[in-house]
Amino acid sequence: MPYHEFECSKCIPERKKHAVIKGPGEDLTHALPLGYLNTIPGSISERGCAYCGAKHVIGTPMKDVIHLSHGPTGCTYDTWQTKRYISDNDNFQLKYTFASDVKEKHIVFGAEKVLKQNIIEAFKAFPDMKRMTIYQTCATALIGDDVDAIAEEVMEEMPEVDIFVCNSPGFAGPSQSGGHHKINIAWIKKKVGTVEPKITSDYVINYVGEYNIQGDQEVMLDYFNRMGIQVLSTFTGNGSYDELRAMHRAHLNVLECARSAEYICNELKVKYGIPRLDIDGFGFEPLSTSLRKIGLFFGIEERAQAIIDEETARWKPELDWYKERLKGKRVCLWPGGSKLWHWANVLHEEMGVDIVSVYTKFGHQGDMEKGIARCEVGALAFDDPNELEGLEAIDMLKPDIIFTGKRPGEVAKKVRVPYLNAHAYHNGPYKGYEGWVRFARDIYNAIYSPIHQLSHLDISKDEIPTGAGFQTATMISDVNLSEEVLSSSTLRQYTGKYDSVSDLRKKTYPEFKKKERSE
Amino acid sequence: MENLHEKIALLEDYIMKKCLWQFHSRAWDRKDQNENILRKATQILCGDAVELETPADRCYWVDALSLTEAFQERYEWLAAMSKEEIKQLMQGLKERIDFVTITGSLNAELTDPRY
Repeated sequence: MPYHEFECSKCIPERKKHAVIKGPGEDLTHALPLGYLNTIPGSISERGCAYCGAKHVIGTPMKDVIHLSHGPTGCTYDTWQTKRYISDNDNFQLKYTFASDVKEKHIVFGAEKVLKQNIIEAFKAFPDMKRMTIYQTCATALIGDDVDAIAEEVMEEMPEVDIFVCNSPGFAGPSQSGGHHKINIAWIKKKVGTVEPKITSDYVINYVGEYNIQGDQEVMLDYFNRMGIQVLSTFTGNGSYDELRAMHRAHLNVLECARSAEYICNELKVKYGIPRLDIDGFGFEPLSTSLRKIGLFFGIEERAQAIIDEETARWKPELDWYKERLKGKRVCLWPGGSKLWHWANVLHEEMGVDIVSVYTKFGHQGDMEKGIARCEVGALAFDDPNELEGLEAIDMLKPDIIFTGKRPGEVAKKVRVPYLNAHAYHNGPYKGYEGWVRFARDIYNAIYSPIHQLSHLDISKDEIPTGAGFQTATMISDVNLSEEVLSSSTLRQYTGKYDSVSDLRKKTYPEFKKKERSE
Repeated sequence: MENLHEKIALLEDYIMKKCLWQFHSRAWDRKDQNENILRKATQILCGDAVELETPADRCYWVDALSLTEAFQERYEWLAAMSKEEIKQLMQGLKERIDFVTITGSLNAELTDPRY
């Protein structure tokens, strides 16, 4: 597995150890990209900062909380109506964002006073909200503001409120991953064990590393509810502050994104003896295996199997319609941290696409181990990419589509390669059986969009076919399909609703009686 | 059918592509995971009793059971193997997984003393 040197990065020789090509007969012990290191000066990274990782990724998906950045308003702006971690309380955490509005004068004279004013003002403006998280930023960390002390003062003056302080300024790590770590550890140290929950089921889990992107958590919650499992807390998508203070009473931690949340699972295991079960919520087979494992753990595997059978029968014919049309398409799987391993193998197996490259913006070497292990031979894997490397890889690999974030995605579009948003999705949720079909539909629509017939033409030199009409997506995708596939009476396109989440919020579930226990 | 080395390679390929339990973040966790899950998987394949006393045991067991079901579904030659042969196969698999994920791993974070 030779290290790969990008032409554009020859002037940054350290970059060579951040990229490998998976060779035949080789394994992870031959070569592994470096990871979770400071970005090399000169390489224009796509990463976020440690504050972003703590607040914008993990903290803010909590729904019943005033999330306040202690710093300039610019730091907090990136969550205001822009993130897609929705919630079932009218998206309070997306509709409102808060900052202490630190300015130059506060850097000179201190910003603790203005912070306290802002905390009280925010609670008064939203009297129904009694919980708050406060995030340190670079400027206020450098001047040494004692945010914990201010939070304590306010909690003494307003005993009905509870405040969590996260000390993860932007510079406190090589990437957003440093912030994931800091907020995980801070939450278990400061908040877990401070609330005793009401236990309503014999089967109690924390659902960890799940951020309810476009409703992912609510899809999975539906399965857990149908199994009679109490989800004590979700860390943190659509999660509740006080429920997350009660994580210590779960029987099992079900871990989805290990990159951002394995720390708290590991600590819960050490401190409270709660086992950690890593799962995959994406794709029919991995999701079925995951539900079955959770069922087995509690001895209710027949409930899991009923869901697997029902959902597979409903959605598999639709997934297979897309698979027939996506076979052999070349994919660059370029997400942030965990989706390279969540998706690499299952995309290949269940949609027939070939993963020609994986990268991770902020993953660690462990993520690369998982991602490379799940790729086929020949894939290019690289860490902390820069824009020029991305463009060089596109030129070298000629992908049909790229799954990445919106910034590198727009770069790909400029060289006429379609992209799908791997972080926030296009038309998600992508978790669950229906969600996986929605993802397949988005991939199909991106690759076969009729717009490419125009966008791939260069008006400065290509002849523009003004006399020809557009070909529809189906006309393009179906041209080489067999008669058997074309005339299939079982395969069909996605038939779900535009909004697959709202109805879940109205559902009722069967009651599973709790077993009587003799003390 | 394939020799022992080839059979181990097939099982390893399945684990690396489909499982996550072998990739916990620290060497001591990987050692625990590999040891407990593959021991329980061996017990299941051999028809031996599996200890399920603690929540941790049950958690290892669900990964082990899921693994053995997948092995049995994919690799018909397993059914023709004796107990001793299965034990030898699974021991070889354990050594290989330990090598790839722990002793031969190039992951510099494995020995970080804290999570």
